[in-house]
Amino acid sequence: MLTTIQPPFIYLLQYTFIKSIFENKYIVISGLVVSHKAPRASSHPNMASRAPVASGRLLSGLRKWYYNLAGFNKLGLMRDDTRYEDADVKEALRRLPEEEYNDRIFRIKRALDLSMKQQILPKDQWTQYEQDRHYLTPYLDEVIRERKEKEEWMKK
Amino acid sequence: MANLRKTHPLLKIANDALVDLPTPSNISLWWNFGSLLGLCLISQIVTGLFLAMHYTSDIATAFSSVTHICRDVNYGWLIRNMHANGASFFFICIYLHIARGLYYGSYLYKETWNIGVMLLVLVMATAFVGYVLPWGQMSFWGATVITNLLSAVPYVGTDLVQWIWGGFSVDNATLNRFFTFHFLLPFMVLAATLVHLLFLHETGSNNPAGLNSDVDKISFHPYFSFKDLLGFAALMLSLVALALFLPYLLGDPDNFTPANPLDTPTHIKPEWYFLFAYAILRSIPNKLGGVLALLSAILVLARVPFLHTSKHRGLTFRPLTQALFWLLVADVMILTWIGGMPAEPPYIIVGQLASIAYFSIFLVLMPSAGYIENSMLEWECKG
Repeated sequence: MLTTIQPPFIYLLQYTFIKSIFENKYIVISGLVVSHKAPRASSHPNMASRAPVASGRLLSGLRKWYYNLAGFNKLGLMRDDTRYEDADVKEALRRLPEEEYNDRIFRIKRALDLSMKQQILPKDQWTQYEQDRHYLTPYLDEVIRERKEKEEWMKK
Repeated sequence: MANLRKTHPLLKIANDALVDLPTPSNISLWWNFGSLLGLCLISQIVTGLFLAMHYTSDIATAFSSVTHICRDVNYGWLIRNMHANGASFFFICIYLHIARGLYYGSYLYKETWNIGVMLLVLVMATAFVGYVLPWGQMSFWGATVITNLLSAVPYVGTDLVQWIWGGFSVDNATLNRFFTFHFLLPFMVLAATLVHLLFLHETGSNNPAGLNSDVDKISFHPYFSFKDLLGFAALMLSLVALALFLPYLLGDPDNFTPANPLDTPTHIKPEWYFLFAYAILRSIPNKLGGVLALLSAILVLARVPFLHTSKHRGLTFRPLTQALFWLLVADVMILTWIGGMPAEPPYIIVGQLASIAYFSIFLVLMPSAGYIENSMLEWECKG
């Protein structure tokens, strides 16, 4: 299907389908669960890890534009630093390695200090879209998965 | 020996709220309006108590008792002006306080927020019954229009209205009981304020960055005690300036005419702080529909915590929803303008469109923008 010339939206559908297989935690063949990718601290996805397809580049460009417009990078924050701390996030934070947690605390304290002074960092210290790490996401996904499993069990 | 400030049963309550209270270091001007509301409440209670010493709530003497206060009571003119304009400042502060709550996602402190909605309703009720007391034309006819709305309640509507009136129209019984309510409600506001603060101090204040500020807290005193004091000075300066230089700027000339049930004013309208709700009420051609829209316009605030879809707390890092917020502010200003205009073309259609926009922004556009912003930052909805 990738070798014939097709309407552009078909490429988008194919790209989305292939992407979903690689990013799913469960790899399903013929309806059977084959493997489960547990979150690993080393497997931090980046904001910029995209497949180089035309529509994917457009979406990636849009996301990068929005990332810079949002402005938290100007305070030296990463995306996962700004997430609202509900119960799931609190538990995920509890599971963070000490070094990650300390780095997060430093960034947040610096951001609060800047906020108090109504300032931002010099441009060379802004977090870059390509360098942003979703350090919390693997732990958060695991916490949410556990909670849902517990809720399902309690329903029985 | 432990500090008395921290051990004495009474002093430690004041200490934990006003001295040693851990406060985020970065809270801005928009966090001043809470304490300013407290100042407004104290000011209204004090000026109100002095007015109550000379006011009479009988329809034969109410209007002239206000004239007596202004002309004969020592500094009565000033106390009356401060009280009348103090109500406007109360609403300026409460609307800015609510706007802060909406912008920075403070409504996620649900108990504090819900008591805040109750406080808004109580303050509106206090202002409504208070405006009737001078017994001018707008006092009488405003009370007549709004109390008549209760007749839209199915089955019991007419009986309900007559029960509120204490008769078959707004008359002496109504004015007497409205004075009683106006005296009583501020103390209920005071009690609810203390409960509001009780819940706030369980969690601590939010901050403009919307981040957990546990890593950077400072003591309330001296930083925010002095900052609040500066805010008090600014508010009192504005209030006194208005009371001394432009005391009737926000008022209605019709209220200088004693109430006459046989003479309906051309344009009946409430004070400026109710105009946006008045516009929403008038935008629906059906009486019950209008009443429900009026109530919904206020009570939609209670739904806001459940309409929060973003992974961020506030709007600081959410440019799409920021645009919608300012659209809402502009929409409320348009509704305020429309509420003061006669119910004629082209104001009718403008009011209807603005009313639709008001509810759409709260119920549809802001939640949708939250989802879009999440996906732009690649936050999937797994929770």
